[in-house]
Amino acid sequence: MTPPFRRLLVANRGEIAVRIIRACREMGIESIAVYSDADASALHVQMADRAERIGPPSPAESYLSITAILDAARRSGAQALHPGYGFLSENASFARAVEEAGIVFVGPPPATLEALGDKLAARRSAADAGVPIVPGLLLPLVDATAVNLGAVGFPAMLKAAAGGGGRGMRRVDRAEEVPSALETARREAISAFGDGTIYVERLVSPARHVEVQLLGDRHGNLACLGERDCSVQRRHQKLVEESPSPAVTPAIRAAMFDSARRVVSGIDFHNAATVEFLLDADGSHYFLEMNTRLQVEHGVTELVTGIDMVAWQIRVAGGERLTPEVLDIQPRGHAIEVRLYAEDPYDDFRPISGAVGAWRMADGPGVRVDAGVGADTELPPQYDPLLAKLMVHADDRPTAIARLRRALDETLIGGVPTDLGFHRWLVDQPGFASGAYDTGIVEDVWGSGPTPGDADLELAATAAAGARRSVRGRPGSRLAPSSGDSAWGRLARREAIER
Amino acid sequence: MSDLELSIGDRRVEPSDDWTFAWLDADHGIAQLGRGDEQAIVLIEGAGSHWVVTVRGRRLMVTARTWRERTLADAEVATRSQAGPLEIKATLPGLIVAIGVEEGSEVTAGEPMLTIEAMKMQNEVRAPRSGRVTTIAVQAGQTVATGALLLRLG
Repeated sequence: MTPPFRRLLVANRGEIAVRIIRACREMGIESIAVYSDADASALHVQMADRAERIGPPSPAESYLSITAILDAARRSGAQALHPGYGFLSENASFARAVEEAGIVFVGPPPATLEALGDKLAARRSAADAGVPIVPGLLLPLVDATAVNLGAVGFPAMLKAAAGGGGRGMRRVDRAEEVPSALETARREAISAFGDGTIYVERLVSPARHVEVQLLGDRHGNLACLGERDCSVQRRHQKLVEESPSPAVTPAIRAAMFDSARRVVSGIDFHNAATVEFLLDADGSHYFLEMNTRLQVEHGVTELVTGIDMVAWQIRVAGGERLTPEVLDIQPRGHAIEVRLYAEDPYDDFRPISGAVGAWRMADGPGVRVDAGVGADTELPPQYDPLLAKLMVHADDRPTAIARLRRALDETLIGGVPTDLGFHRWLVDQPGFASGAYDTGIVEDVWGSGPTPGDADLELAATAAAGARRSVRGRPGSRLAPSSGDSAWGRLARREAIER
Repeated sequence: MSDLELSIGDRRVEPSDDWTFAWLDADHGIAQLGRGDEQAIVLIEGAGSHWVVTVRGRRLMVTARTWRERTLADAEVATRSQAGPLEIKATLPGLIVAIGVEEGSEVTAGEPMLTIEAMKMQNEVRAPRSGRVTTIAVQAGQTVATGALLLRLG
């Protein structure tokens, strides 16, 4: 098959850049990575065919700089640009500038990014298309005292129209809390997105977060690639995703797919997008927002559908038609993804910077790892602390959970705290095994995690004693802390500093 | 097992003689422990008396001291006055966004002294004990590396 493009620029970093570069390699497309000074030796730079420097570590001067990225695209002679997720991926001005430079933007049309990127506008257009939305107001919340929020009901959520990633969001339980919450949400939204528009929705609780994956071509064909359940969240950010959702019956699925198709029915849409819904305890779904880009969790959908979504994004961007096989896809089996973050789940999931030491990823049947780092990788403090995504696929959900437990036990990450311990706890939770969990599972059930059990303490003490004796017994061992700039030496120094 | 004293946090923990210990990959600190038909693979990092053992994804800080180290450490604690000077260093790299104390300020244990922003998160550095701030070694807006001196408590 002739590749749709000769050369593609990957306007991102970390695991998603690596993922896109892999798709390019398989399709016979030359890949161009971009990097800030903090990423000069990063995995995505090593893997790409070529790499262009775009600026200093600060995201505003590198991965968020439209000028720097466009310059790199022109310099390298790229015919297409894949924005990944985050950074500029949903920025309509960026997409427009890319297209004006004669480069194909691998994503929905700029006008669609514009219309759906404003969450309040998206909410209005979903309502117009007959899609159920979360009860609340359809106008921006300008002055807390001028609006009767009693009609919305409490508790309510204040949300940023330009929002994402949980920023600019505040829960309010009483009318008196609204003015100060509105101020904080607005300040956070201005600093994160440069737009302080806030709207209000009733808080649906308990609820599940379920999203529908859409893939469209430039000829009006639209495929619905199933749903993903993303209810395991902290700070309104996802930690675990699975497909299919254990809460979705065939009737609910049909209704959600119909809603998802309606959201894009009136607009010019192609490429990949996700329609996010809240699902309440009665099985009613409400439109939440639309993400007009590839999602972090797209791999879950790839596992159950067998479709390479990134390759299809590039193919439809090049004008190719979706095949009947893609349009009629029937997902098979069950897939679960856990996000491996450098953050401490025993300390409120505090993000950690530092350096990864040892790095051993799970392997074997039904296991997929998408990683952006490897052993002895520095983690620049400027960027998201996502290290890798561990995914499993099996015939059914119980088998997938057993496979995930096995894969987590095979995974070892040194140097920095990670959320591995949280995931290992989660797979043994009755609420997770039964599938009857909701978005409160992290806050309400995990809290700051259980205290370590006696068996684990004994194991750790025995391991440390074994290690110490074995090092002493072998004076020439490389375990000795004197061995140059090894992760061991670094760790020993760091521990000494913290003491 | 009497040659080593092991503790995790404030807790004394007895290592068990029932487990066998073998390195799978000594260069990377990966070891296998076995007991009957039970087995566990753990990651062990560190050196000397300070170790970090990752068990089921959780990092546990283990102190493993010989009798000699224990005696020396006890002697050090005895001579180190509670009111002695203390250097506060950065435990993570980041940007100093705010300094809430001045040279000469009296602080009480647990009181926030300055804020470091890393990974878009604000991390408060609190006083580990009460005392007077004798030196402030950084300025707001400055980027610091792990281990950089932040301030001194007298």
